[in-house]
Amino acid sequence: MDIDKNMKILVVDDFATMRKVIKNLLKQIGFENITEAEDGTSALRTLKSQEIDFVISDWNMPNMSGIELLKAVRADDDLKSVPFLMVTAEALKENVVIAVKAGVNNYVVKPFTAEVLSEKIEKIFEKL
Amino acid sequence: MGYDSLMNLIDGMASDFLFLDGQEIDISAAGKFLNELENVIKEAGALKVEQVKSVATALSGFLEYVVIDSIEDKEAGFDAFGKGITLMQEIGDSFKNTGGYEGDIKGFMESVAALTGEQIVAAETGVVAEAEMEAEVEAEAETAVEVEGETEAGAETEVSEEGPQLIETIEVQDEDLLRDFIVEGLEYIDEIEVNLLNLEQDPENLDHVNAIFRPFHSIKGVAGFLNLEVIRDFAHDLENLLDRVRNSEVSVSSQLINIILDGADALKAMITKLKDDLEGKPTEPLEIDLTALRKRIEKVEQGAPETGEVKKVGEILVEDGVITDEVLKEELEIARKADPPKKIGETLIAEGIATPKQVAQALRKQTEQAADTAQIRVNIKKLDDLIDMVGELVITQAMIRQNSFILSNSDRKLSGDVSQLSGITSELQRTSTSLRMVPIKQTFQRMSRLVRDLSKDAGKQVGVVTEGDDTEIDRNMTEEIYNPLVHMVRNAVDHGIDSPEDRIKAGKPEKGLVQLKAFHRGGNIVIEISDDGKGLDKDRILQKALEKGLIDSSHGLSDQDIFKLIFLPGFSTAAKVTDVSGRGVGMDVVRQAVEKLRGKIEIDSVPGKGSTFALSFPLTMAIIDGMIVRVGDEKYIIPTTAIRQLLRPLQESYNNVVGKAETINVMGNLLPLVRLYEIFGIEPEHKDPWEAIIVVVDGENRTKCLLVDEILGEEEVVIKSLGESLKSTKGVSGGAILGDGNVGLILDPEGLFELSER
Repeated sequence: MDIDKNMKILVVDDFATMRKVIKNLLKQIGFENITEAEDGTSALRTLKSQEIDFVISDWNMPNMSGIELLKAVRADDDLKSVPFLMVTAEALKENVVIAVKAGVNNYVVKPFTAEVLSEKIEKIFEKL
Repeated sequence: MGYDSLMNLIDGMASDFLFLDGQEIDISAAGKFLNELENVIKEAGALKVEQVKSVATALSGFLEYVVIDSIEDKEAGFDAFGKGITLMQEIGDSFKNTGGYEGDIKGFMESVAALTGEQIVAAETGVVAEAEMEAEVEAEAETAVEVEGETEAGAETEVSEEGPQLIETIEVQDEDLLRDFIVEGLEYIDEIEVNLLNLEQDPENLDHVNAIFRPFHSIKGVAGFLNLEVIRDFAHDLENLLDRVRNSEVSVSSQLINIILDGADALKAMITKLKDDLEGKPTEPLEIDLTALRKRIEKVEQGAPETGEVKKVGEILVEDGVITDEVLKEELEIARKADPPKKIGETLIAEGIATPKQVAQALRKQTEQAADTAQIRVNIKKLDDLIDMVGELVITQAMIRQNSFILSNSDRKLSGDVSQLSGITSELQRTSTSLRMVPIKQTFQRMSRLVRDLSKDAGKQVGVVTEGDDTEIDRNMTEEIYNPLVHMVRNAVDHGIDSPEDRIKAGKPEKGLVQLKAFHRGGNIVIEISDDGKGLDKDRILQKALEKGLIDSSHGLSDQDIFKLIFLPGFSTAAKVTDVSGRGVGMDVVRQAVEKLRGKIEIDSVPGKGSTFALSFPLTMAIIDGMIVRVGDEKYIIPTTAIRQLLRPLQESYNNVVGKAETINVMGNLLPLVRLYEIFGIEPEHKDPWEAIIVVVDGENRTKCLLVDEILGEEEVVIKSLGESLKSTKGVSGGAILGDGNVGLILDPEGLFELSER
């Protein structure tokens, strides 16, 4: 299945440079339609006010963490089917399992390359 | 009821499994199954269907390996998972029909264990299953430790003699990101210090730990993408340490705070170096000993033994990598056989194995450790309680001593015992108060850092000199004075120190100087903050105060009076709002904070030469020196710090201008008279000031005369709060039990002044 390269992606991270890193990687893969949020709270606001096709979120953020955002998204009837990719710092089993149980579509461990990111996105969208 | 609910859960899983696309369990499916299995485990546990519980636990464990992508044979895994579900259905059915299950699940459990490479014992009871899970966690912890060891070893090799090599080459496409990282990274590090302070004051609050954890975490994340391995690894170490604090494995201690501060400094230096390199500035090699910092992190992580044994010099040398274990053993043998026996240090130097410097360093470390071991950690609450109770004891003891029965007794033994009791009690009070005293050094160090950071932002060069770092101060007060100090240091750098150009013009060295001084004077601790800047501008202060309507005229105001105007609410002379000052907090906040501690601020300023702000506080907050005065039958305590003068005025010095206030001429100054008996509504002995006593007291920024009948003496009193209901009572700041057992109210001059003006 071909992935719509124009889909709107929301990148969530409190560190602006990190958002830029992810944006650059996404652009390398061919995604251009990207919007940003600096924590879970503002991400949720964006999700509710705009049509977002895909969320890439960091785990550790102030105010509302990535996992809290994920849970809030899955608990919201309008948003619950939005694909969600979690960015984690370590592939610690306990952490990953928490995200998986909360309904994450996939996760990616920092640092990652454009190829890895592309693979993860393909994996998510081939199942949808 | 029965087994239907369990069967429904298992059947649900079976149908989900059937409808899986392809022969693969992806992340989403795994998540779904994990949640379903959790319910199955719960239900099976409640129904005591242990075999289902065991199988479900095994499947759950298996899925955990699936999600971290560590199942090699995916196909076999997929089949095994299907078999597991079928097996659960079988067991469930059997229970439903016969109330038991005769089959064996061992074969299945082994096949799952083979897939994950983990030993899963077929559990007969839930207890065993739990033990298994614990073992699993432990195993993981071990691997985590290994990883840590690896990074450390890796980083150590990178630390060359020229300091850590930060980056090999900068790829052009990353340069933009690198710049962003530098700016944002440095911002994040600056936040750490603020949050550390919060943490120190509120060590139990995990929000603060998180707030410190996050910058390291974020820096690590981005550094990983930018191939900044040294930065990434070091940030990772600090992050790990904080993670352990979050998990309550490491407690918040001054060592922890210090290593995080130093670690943050090191990161800052590394990032700054990166910035300079990027800008093509010539840079010095970094002088950061990451290995030493890592050792300290490790020490804190291990919860550096507070009461452990002191390490031997030889052991310290081995730890420092000066000698090996084998060499130490050999040399110890040589040292022992020598006649007379030599010390290991001497032998090592004599044999040329260690340099005298290395041995001296080890000896110093040993002494430090010895000092450490002589301390124990005590909960501050316990200490506070102890000091409070000792305060009570002192009063009770004074009451006993002044009891008329004791005073008039003729038993010499009793008199002797009572006086010994007083001696011991005051010694006890002194010792217990000293328990809470800490050197002001740490506070000063923070201020020095602040000056450094602020001066950079303000584009000024400012040096810091501290004096009296060892001056001790009540630990509870260090927290209270921190904010006022920060504000005053900010003011000194931002408004006090003039710009480099102005300084050169004025014939002063380009580099400004901020001095922090602490010393004891009487029962007070004095902290002075001086700068060699432009001094306070009297004219501008006056102009501003007039503009803002804070004063009506400048007539008759002394220099001191003018300087004190800056403490009035709503006063700020900063021409522009800068990043550091002008955050909506003025000197009035400083004054309030200082007064809350019953302290005083004095200003000394010479135009063109600089200003000195001297804060003086009573040594401890629990006890004050008070003057006991009598009005009618009542006794009051006036804080000695507020008293300027005691006098009995001449009749001529009393003025009563009709329609205006009554005044007393005190050495040429007409000061308003406040009749205490009127305020408190009691019958005094004397109403004429020339027959009574006048106490000249300072309020916040004015001085008045209090009319009292008699001065009874001076006493140290332990302050008692009046309780919630009386807290807002004006003119009175607390109560105290006096030596004679009576209760006296502690007067608050400013409050009294306000009452007298109504």
